[in-house]
Amino acid sequence: MSAQTLSPQAETMDQAAHDRAKKRINLRENLQAGEFLLPVILIFVVITIIPFLESFVFSLTDYSGYDFSSAKFVGLENYVTMFKDPTIMAGLGFTLMYAVLTTLIVTIIALPLAVVLNKKFWGHNFARSVFFFLSIPSMALLGLVWQFIVSPLPSGAVNQFLSHFGVSAVPWLSNPDLARGCVIFIAVWATIGWHATLYIAYLQAIPSDLYEQASVDGANGWQQFIHITLPQMTPAIGVSVFMLLTSGLKVYDLPFTLIGGGPGHATYTVTQSIIVTGIGSNRYGLGSALGVVFFLCCLVLVLVQQAVTRAIEKRMA
Amino acid sequence: MTLTARRRLHNAILSVVIILLALICAIPLWIIFINSFKTSGEMMKDPFGMPASFSLDNYRHAFASLPIGRAFLNTIIVTVLSVFIQVFVGSLAAYGMILKKSRFTAAIGTLLVLSFVIPGQTLIIPQYRMMADWGLVDHLASVICIYSAGAAFCYYLIVGYMRGLPQSLFEAARLDGAGPWRIYFQIVLPLIRPILITTIVFQTMSAWNDFMTANIYLSSVDKQTIVLQVFSAQGQFTTNWPLFMAVTTIALIPVFIFFLICQRWIVSGLVSGAVKG
Repeated sequence: MSAQTLSPQAETMDQAAHDRAKKRINLRENLQAGEFLLPVILIFVVITIIPFLESFVFSLTDYSGYDFSSAKFVGLENYVTMFKDPTIMAGLGFTLMYAVLTTLIVTIIALPLAVVLNKKFWGHNFARSVFFFLSIPSMALLGLVWQFIVSPLPSGAVNQFLSHFGVSAVPWLSNPDLARGCVIFIAVWATIGWHATLYIAYLQAIPSDLYEQASVDGANGWQQFIHITLPQMTPAIGVSVFMLLTSGLKVYDLPFTLIGGGPGHATYTVTQSIIVTGIGSNRYGLGSALGVVFFLCCLVLVLVQQAVTRAIEKRMA
Repeated sequence: MTLTARRRLHNAILSVVIILLALICAIPLWIIFINSFKTSGEMMKDPFGMPASFSLDNYRHAFASLPIGRAFLNTIIVTVLSVFIQVFVGSLAAYGMILKKSRFTAAIGTLLVLSFVIPGQTLIIPQYRMMADWGLVDHLASVICIYSAGAAFCYYLIVGYMRGLPQSLFEAARLDGAGPWRIYFQIVLPLIRPILITTIVFQTMSAWNDFMTANIYLSSVDKQTIVLQVFSAQGQFTTNWPLFMAVTTIALIPVFIFFLICQRWIVSGLVSGAVKG
C-alpha cells in the first residue's frame, strides 16, 4: 500500500503512530540526556537541596543535633531569639558592611588601576603580575600574616615603621573601629588585583578606533574614560560587582584568622555565628534560623544588584 | 618638547609610580619571606631589613616539629579527588544538556542555577549533621563530598563554552552511529579542553585555599590540610613569628609555582566565567 492510496482514516492512524514514535524517541533522548545529568542532580540534591530544605525545618525546632525525632516544634521562637541576640546581630551587621564596603572600594580602585595597567609602559607586565598574585594565596593565610603586620603591639610591623616618625603604637586590632578598618583594608589589598585583571581583559576587547575617533575629536583622557571606557565596561562592572558581593557575604576566613572575630564581636561574621551557635554549641535550630535569614538577605541583595545592573546597561545601550 | 619625548617622559613617570605602588603592595610578601630567616629578636628589632645571615634553622625546625609532608599529601588528595569529581560530573551534565533540548533538561538547568543563590553558610549545619550521620567527620572524604557541590558551578562554565561550539560536530558523529558516551569521550572532551583546563585551575585554587570547610570537618593533626596546618602552627608558635613565617613560606611556594604556570588560564577563565555571570 503506497502513501497516495491511504484512506483519510488510515492517514490519521498513521499520524497517531507517528506521534507515538516521536514521543518514544523524545523519551529515549530525554533518558539519554538524563543519564549524563544524573550525577550532577544526585550531588546537587544530596549536598545542596536537601540541606537547604532541612535548614528551614530545623529553624522551626529546638533541634540540638543529637536526635531529630525528639526535637520540639517551636514556631518562630528561634527567629525572635536571633534578632534579640546582640552577638548574632553584630555578625550580621559586620558581614553586610564588609560586603558593601569591599564591593564599593574595590570597584572604585580596580577600574582606574586596570586602565593604567592596560597601558604599554616599561614594567607593566611585572606590575600586573604582582597585583594579581596577591589574590592567589588563601585569605586565611594572609589573615595570619597580617596579624603580625597590624599588631597593636609596638613590635608590629606598621607600628615599628610609624615609630620612626615618632608616632606611638596604634591599637590597630584592639580598637573595634580600627579592627574593622584593617579587615576591610586587607580584603581590598588582596582582591584588587583579581578584579583589575578581569577589567583588563574586558578593556582589551574595546575597539581601539573608538579612542582614535575621540582623540581626533579632541577628547582628553578623562573625557575618554567617562564617555567610552565606562559605558563599554558596564557588563564587566556588573560581573565584578556580583562576584564581590557574593564572596563578600561569605566572608569568614579573614576576620577569623586575623583576629578571631574580635575585639569583642567587632569583626564577627554570619558564618562564624552559624558555626559557633550551630556546631559549636549544638543550637542547630537557632543556627539554622540565622542561615535562613541570611539566605533571604543574600537573595534581596543579589536581586537588587541585578536589577540595578540591568537598568544601567539599558540606559547605556 | 616634541610629542614623542613627552610621551616617553609620561611613560617613564607611569613606570616609576606604578612599579613603586606594586612594590609597596608586595611588602607583606617580603615580610613573610625575609623574616623566615631571622631569629625572633632580630625580627622584633627590624621586620623589614635583611637578616644577619640566611639561616635555614626555622625551616629545619618547621619540618621537624610539624607534619608538613602529611599536610601537603592531604591537601593534594582532597584537591585532586574533589576537582576530578567536580569537573567530570560538571562536563557530563553540560553534555547532557546539549544532547537534548526539552522541558525536562530546561527544568534541570533552572534548578542548577539555584546554587548561585543559596549561600554556603545556610547549608553548614544540615551538611555537618549529614556528614556526622555518615560517620565522615574528621575524614578527608567529608571535605571532598562538600567540595563536590562545586560540580554545579563547573557545569555552568562548561555548558556556556559548549553552546558556542558548532553543534554539527556532535550531529555528524551521531549520524556516523557513535553512541552518546563514545561521542562524549572521543569528541566532546578533546573539543572542550580549553574550558576544562580553566575550570580545573579555578576549582584547584578554591579547594587548595579553603579554610572554612576544612576547619569545620578536620580536627586531627594527621588529617589537616596545609592551610589548617599553618593556622594551628600560628596558635602553637605565637611567640615565634619567624618560625611561623617559615611555615607560611613553605605553604606559599606551591601556590606561587601554580600561579606562574597557570596565570594565563586564570585570566582566560576570569573572562569566560564572567561573560555569563
